Amino acid sequence: MYNSSNNKKERAAIATKNCDDPVINYKNLDYLEKFLTPQGQILSRRRTGFCTQCQKQLKKAIKNARHLALLPFVN
Amino acid sequence: MVLVSNQVVREDWRKAKSLVAEMLTKHEGSIKTLRRYEERRLAYPIKGNLRATYYLTYFEMPGANVPALRRDMELSESVLRNLVLAVDAVPEEEIAQAALEEDADYTVPEPPADDEPDVEEVSETEDEDIEDEEEVLVGDGDDL
Repeated sequence: MYNSSNNKKERAAIATKNCDDPVINYKNLDYLEKFLTPQGQILSRRRTGFCTQCQKQLKKAIKNARHLALLPFVN
Repeated sequence: MVLVSNQVVREDWRKAKSLVAEMLTKHEGSIKTLRRYEERRLAYPIKGNLRATYYLTYFEMPGANVPALRRDMELSESVLRNLVLAVDAVPEEEIAQAALEEDADYTVPEPPADDEPDVEEVSETEDEDIEDEEEVLVGDGDDL
């Protein structure tokens, strides 16, 4: 069920990004780590504040980095 | 990007580089740039290795040859992981950095042992020690 909470903490996005910026890259680890929980899970789009395309790019970049052992699967 | 075992890199880092180059040329790949990207601690152990060296390469290759290249890399014991992605163009920074490595005088430090901590980790622990010492000194001053 959709949670229509007005809690600002829940709605606060971590980063705002121009979709043309090529910052989402599997080598840009400092940037990618901002969108992981302490356990290593990818944050939801509600938390990251990304559009659909950027969230898909983020997912792909994190999964590529995990494959190369640059980021952990689980902490 | 290719992840190469440090055992090969310790023998000769240029030999490890040529190992990657040979794999690419074997499958009709023309190498644009190839350089040692980084030596670092892995996020999780791979085949018993806790540390390894990353080589980053940009190359052109017929698409039909890519599966054979991937298979070759997966069968190789020296190559721990590989990632082949399609890109539009080679970044200019990458060309400049790869050119630096071509210099005969260019050397890289020998990879550390697997159980050795990262440089950042060591500096963080040293900072903590210094902070502790400062606290002790302040405590002594108050007593006096």
